[in-house]
Amino acid sequence: MKLKKLARKLEDFLDADARERKEHRDEMKVLLRKMKDKEKSLLAKALVEFDEKRLDALRKQIDMVHAQRKKGINALKELTKKRKQ
Amino acid sequence: MLKRLQLPVILLLLAGGFWLSPDFKTISAGVAIFLFGMLSLEQGFNAFTGGLLERVLKRATSSHLRSLGFGLVSTAIMQSSSLVSVIAISFLSAGLISLAAGIGIVFGANLGTTTGAWLIAGFGLKVDIARYALPMLVFGIVLLFQPGSKLKGAGSILCGLGFLFLGIHYMKEGFEAFKSTIDLARYSVSGYPGVFLFMLTGIFATVVMQSSHATLVLIITALAAQQITYENALALAIGANIGTTITAMLSALNATASGKRLAGAHLIFNLVTALISVALIFQLVELVDWSAAKLGIASTDYTLKLAVFHTIFNLGGVLIMLPFITPLVVFLERVIPERVPEVDQPRYLSSASAEFPDTAIEAVKNETQRIFDEALDIIASGMGLLKDASSSKVRLATDFKGKPLLGEGSIDAMYEKHIKSIYSAILVFISDTEFSRKQGHAVALQWLREANVQIVEAIKDTKHLQKNLQRFMVSDNPDIRNGYNRIRRHVAAILQDIADTRLEKDGVMDMLALDALKLTIDEHRNAMIDEVTRLIASRKISSQMGSSLLNDSAYAHDVSMNLVLAAQTLFGAAEPELLHAARAVTLDDNDRGTILDETV
Repeated sequence: MKLKKLARKLEDFLDADARERKEHRDEMKVLLRKMKDKEKSLLAKALVEFDEKRLDALRKQIDMVHAQRKKGINALKELTKKRKQ
Repeated sequence: MLKRLQLPVILLLLAGGFWLSPDFKTISAGVAIFLFGMLSLEQGFNAFTGGLLERVLKRATSSHLRSLGFGLVSTAIMQSSSLVSVIAISFLSAGLISLAAGIGIVFGANLGTTTGAWLIAGFGLKVDIARYALPMLVFGIVLLFQPGSKLKGAGSILCGLGFLFLGIHYMKEGFEAFKSTIDLARYSVSGYPGVFLFMLTGIFATVVMQSSHATLVLIITALAAQQITYENALALAIGANIGTTITAMLSALNATASGKRLAGAHLIFNLVTALISVALIFQLVELVDWSAAKLGIASTDYTLKLAVFHTIFNLGGVLIMLPFITPLVVFLERVIPERVPEVDQPRYLSSASAEFPDTAIEAVKNETQRIFDEALDIIASGMGLLKDASSSKVRLATDFKGKPLLGEGSIDAMYEKHIKSIYSAILVFISDTEFSRKQGHAVALQWLREANVQIVEAIKDTKHLQKNLQRFMVSDNPDIRNGYNRIRRHVAAILQDIADTRLEKDGVMDMLALDALKLTIDEHRNAMIDEVTRLIASRKISSQMGSSLLNDSAYAHDVSMNLVLAAQTLFGAAEPELLHAARAVTLDDNDRGTILDETV
């Protein structure tokens, strides 16, 4: 298992395309983490909001962040699938 | 005329020299190989500048001492003060660093360049340097043939170092052989006449070779072979320092005002340093002897003592000039003012900012930001919206009867004055810039180009909208007035939301947050279609009014959407390392359609 991991790391270092895909995967992971935090903070705000208009705006934002996260997760899955191929 | 003659004259002189003396050929070849090595080193370090340099520079230039430190360390590593000066001018032209920070870097670079003299005198002359050069060249070439910019960059650096060492080797050999045919030391001139003569020679040699490093290597190798006296070598070194500023001044002729100011600061620094060194040269020689003794350098080791002298007179210059950086900035800004044109011109686009991918992207981003801000003002005026300067709140101008909106001619005039020149310059700049070695940079510029097109489209759509807005805002029909006020309120809300999001300063998260505005824009468009249909059906407005209102709500939709798309590009550019990923997750038309359907 360790050899496989080492071989993969060596491949990432020497192969420019593989290196670029790894960079994209790492970028996506950082972004998804930020978006998860954002979604959590919006949900927390929605829980204590009683004004209908502001609550509606918050719900819209939550739906949007959720949709963006879903898109990001699918994109990450694609990048990981390409690497395994 | 003179400029055109320069190259043929130099070539002729060289050819004559080669014919007269094979040793001169060896020395010249040594210089040529050394200069090639420096070019190779520069190319190699360029491969590592993506993003990293910008991040380091931003942190490293927050104070004068930090800027000085950055200049010193980067020049010592890259062994090229010209490259560091070019970086400073590029980043200054792109608006990434201040003039004071740029001056600090240049001072530091002058000090950093003295490490070259130590390396050559302390190492280059004492060992068989060609032994180290040859393996470096072999490994360097192997790496150059690898795919991937970082490996190629490492290869260029190794080759650069190898050629540097090989150049020094040939210069050493050349001067050693030269000694047996001509003893140049017989032509030495002592005292102040000698100082001035050899200082001028140093200036001339540096201007011709475009490198103070190469001149210094020549001086040290000539001194080691006793072809020049120690006293004359010191004067040559002072001349080399001045010569390097002349080449910087020449290259700054086509730079922006800030680039010229930095070149001016460089010249002032070196002239002041040279004047003080020349005036106190004999006292400095004593100081060098004392320092050399403390460092354990033999009194006859003139090459190392030259390195000590080079360090002392540059360090002295830095210590004297460092407290004067702020007054120097004020002086330079007064003497080289920014031209105030009748039509707004680009501030950040220049050949200097085009040198590196990061500076080119930053320059384009800054110019795009300028026209984006101007466009917001033009659109707000065109729609009869008022921006509160202190709070940046956007609201409707309430009284139009007897107080017309901005005339159609005015949007055109504002566009011509504030947008057109900069927009054209941006498009030319992007198309002239070639950063094919890293695709990410080319894509970033493409996105910025799209943003520019979106901004201009938004202004043009506002002009179309304004025709009917002016007509129907003074109509007796309250429903058509309300319809257009609804469009205006919607655009005001979009402008307000963009301004509020910008205040968050959260990079790509701001970019993604703007997707919510896109949903709002789509919802508004759908609501307007329903509203107009209802108004026409209930005969509250005529069909012509209805079609105008529908068309104009489509224009308003496009104005809003283009502004949001441009804002997303600009906000996202603040966090370039996550930009690619962020663009992959922004919601497209299909995604938004799905969310809207689920909401209904």
